[in-house]
Amino acid sequence: MQKEKFYREIADILEVDDLTDTDILANYATWDSLSILSAVAMIGSRYRVNLTARDLRSVATAGELYDLVAAHCYS
Amino acid sequence: MALTGRTFLVTGAASGIGRATSVLLSRLGARVACLDIDEEGLAETRRLLESGDAHNFQVGDLKDLNNIAGWLSECVKSLGPLHGFVHAAGLPAPWPLRGLSASMWNDVRLINTEAALILTKEFHGRKIYAGDHGSVVFISSVMARVGSPAAAVYSMTKSALEGMARSLAMELAPRGIRVNCVAPGFVRTPMLGRMEALQEPGYAARLEALHPLGLGQPEDVANAAAFLLGDAARWITGTVVVVDGGYTAQ
Repeated sequence: MQKEKFYREIADILEVDDLTDTDILANYATWDSLSILSAVAMIGSRYRVNLTARDLRSVATAGELYDLVAAHCYS
Repeated sequence: MALTGRTFLVTGAASGIGRATSVLLSRLGARVACLDIDEEGLAETRRLLESGDAHNFQVGDLKDLNNIAGWLSECVKSLGPLHGFVHAAGLPAPWPLRGLSASMWNDVRLINTEAALILTKEFHGRKIYAGDHGSVVFISSVMARVGSPAAAVYSMTKSALEGMARSLAMELAPRGIRVNCVAPGFVRTPMLGRMEALQEPGYAARLEALHPLGLGQPEDVANAAAFLLGDAARWITGTVVVVDGGYTAQ
């Protein structure tokens, strides 16, 4: 699982150019329920990791989101 | 409403609307061929059916469209020719546009829509169809008639199902086969449970509020499907029975 590629995919959903480890997701106005559902769908389809909206709400930064998905990928 | 002496196939019979329909048909005296990918769920359905051993149970994945003819032949070998079927199998697709890619919806399209077409094609032939009292019911959704965010793919498959039903109804009327849809609102099924898990907290309460009569039960939809299969609906074809607790009346 490539972090840069993952960040590009999440950035597309947030409609921003790029993301870094420390970017706080909730600071983006576009990190709304539809974006979260989009991320759940993308992560499920692309990485075969089934998360819930609650899982995604539980992380603060882009880096934490990557770690969450990566942990499921490699578990 | 008796269906004694009739034989029907139900897809998605291992849970939810498919299971409720199978159970109801068996209680109305029909022989039921139950098809689903979930072997464990099918075993539970078998336990719930009236005269469970008088029916047919097959494990199969409807995405394998080429296997549908074989499953129907097995039904006929086991129970005799079919009078109709209920296509209750379906996949959810709670995907907003931003999270969508073209590779995601193939399975949804295959199961929700294309399997219904192939089932009808194979059913109407003389080796499978009993030749009288023919009735086909597709389980559609209110999402074929109202919009909702993140529902474009699901709406696409269910709208296609309703359009298909109208044309098939015209094509098959000369053979005495009626084709109709039941369009449920949100029903308490395992599929809804999986959807709830994906969504934000409060989703279930918001859904409930959209239905003046509250969320439905699988049996509410099964009742409509059984009606359409039976002779009481003999002058009804090419239409949609909406069973939604008032969801689309607002």
